Amino acid sequence: MQQLQVTDLHVEFGGLRAVDGLSFAVEEGEILCLLGPNGAGKSTTLDLICGKTQPTGGSIRLNGTEISQMLEFRRARLGIGRKFQVPSVYRDLTVAENLSVARSRRPGLWSALTRFSLSDVRETEGILERVDLSSKREELAGNLSHGETQWLEIAMLIAQDSRLILMDEPTAGMTIQETEKTAEIFRSLSDSHTLIVVEHDMSFVRTVADRIIVMNRGAMLAEGSIEEIETNEDVKTAYLGH
Amino acid sequence: MTSRFHYDLVALVIFTVVIVFGVPALMNYDGFELNTFARYLALAIVSMALALSWGTAGLLNLGQAATFGMGSYAMAMHLKLRASNGLPDFMGWNNVPELPLIWMPFESLAFTLLAGLLIPAFVGGLIAIFMFRARIAGVFVAIITLAFLVAFQLLVIDQQGLTGGQNGLTGLAQLSLPGWTVDPYSMGFYYLVAGCLAVALAVGVYLTHSKFGLVLRAIREDADRTRFFGYNVATYQTAVFCISAALAGWAGMLYTMVLEFASPTYMGVSFSLAIVIWCAVGGRESVIAAAFGAIIVNMLEGRLSDVFVEGWHLMLGVIFVLVVMFMPRGIYGLLSELAAKLRRAGRQGNAASIDPSSKTQLETGQEQ
Repeated sequence: MQQLQVTDLHVEFGGLRAVDGLSFAVEEGEILCLLGPNGAGKSTTLDLICGKTQPTGGSIRLNGTEISQMLEFRRARLGIGRKFQVPSVYRDLTVAENLSVARSRRPGLWSALTRFSLSDVRETEGILERVDLSSKREELAGNLSHGETQWLEIAMLIAQDSRLILMDEPTAGMTIQETEKTAEIFRSLSDSHTLIVVEHDMSFVRTVADRIIVMNRGAMLAEGSIEEIETNEDVKTAYLGH
Repeated sequence: MTSRFHYDLVALVIFTVVIVFGVPALMNYDGFELNTFARYLALAIVSMALALSWGTAGLLNLGQAATFGMGSYAMAMHLKLRASNGLPDFMGWNNVPELPLIWMPFESLAFTLLAGLLIPAFVGGLIAIFMFRARIAGVFVAIITLAFLVAFQLLVIDQQGLTGGQNGLTGLAQLSLPGWTVDPYSMGFYYLVAGCLAVALAVGVYLTHSKFGLVLRAIREDADRTRFFGYNVATYQTAVFCISAALAGWAGMLYTMVLEFASPTYMGVSFSLAIVIWCAVGGRESVIAAAFGAIIVNMLEGRLSDVFVEGWHLMLGVIFVLVVMFMPRGIYGLLSELAAKLRRAGRQGNAASIDPSSKTQLETGQEQ
């Protein structure tokens, strides 16, 4: 079943067409990787889906509901989670508190007023072990190393448990082992989640991607499996510039 | 629950015991001294109210005095009506023919108490909705709330027939509850104010340790990120503004009872800035610390302004500058850093003394 359908999406920043007539669909449980040279509009596409940026034209449908004009927190409540390129965790909160904020099944004011700050962390048992952070529960997120910060943000997205997760360069700055572990986590996530991943690391893409879309200048250049993409002439031209 | 919650509960109990039992004993149960201290306690409530919006949510509300003033005037209107037969005296001087409509419900004590909480909450909420739905943040919140404060004070002074203008509302009756006329120089009144502060602090401690408080801290750090987790940031910010305003209104009502008059200076810029200073000195991260800051600074003011009548404001300014420069997290920050150092030292001491295997564990733990 099609979970997300993007049709003829446009956005302009002061004359620059960052996304220019992009259309694609994502199936439930799929891992879709977005590739493309710098400035191709990959991150902007994620921004448009999650509501960080408002499109100037086109439509975005999530399970049939038009969401392109919705405020970002409403889209999050409908089941869209986002990991940003720059790890954005709450540095002044502890690891456990970060997870509790991310666990937002009941984001309303009343339920927040009637529960203790960490009461939602219990529902996320096991996530910290999965990312090797269980010994750092009480540590401030600002004291974590870069790799741990990446893990924490991934843990937060698992805790948020969105059906559609948008990941912007999740393995940036990770070691080979860490990247492998991330790939493993992504594969297990795809049982119950749909992932759209922007990534440059081709070996990572090769391991996780069910399907790949290559973007160039805000539009789709090619679409298909990893083999199809690697032999595509247009892609070679776009990357190598001849 | 977390250890920090336990610390706050212990601090709350100690603080309550000290103000309810310790302070009256220290003052030899002297009515005049206790009235002065009750004034500090009322101001402590408005300081802890600011700590909720500023410390927890990062919203610097420079208009806190406006909502404080609303509570103060609500109570004063009730007490003024109780003190006058028919039309309050100042209305006669201003050629007001009959009791204005908005004064009438203040005949009722129940209405007055509700109004003193709900009118500030409503006005605070209204400003908050406009600001936070438009995603105004940071220094602009301070500017808008300050502008509102100035405009509101001018309005109150200008409406002399309704508010007593520059003179405020004086010649008030003592509050009479069923079976108790509240004498502001009595022990009973002191306990009332101390009890109110204890309740306000308990509410504050609960809120800061609820998920609401956690989400507010998350919003303070990164409002955009928090939206992507599905939280309606504007709703949370508006709620904390309303709660803070209601607490300020509550403090205002008590303040009028302590001083037995209401004055437009309660809505002044310098009073509003003083609240910020108390809160900063105590530590805005903790409601208890903010309340403590209000009491300490006001005690200092009580002692020093007798000696240095003109120089006191200058000294207050210097204190603020020193606090911002050398202890930006206030007394609370100083203490919590000290506690963290002691804990670390304690852990290392233990590890060294117990057995070598645990020591190696600790060391490898640090290396990871």
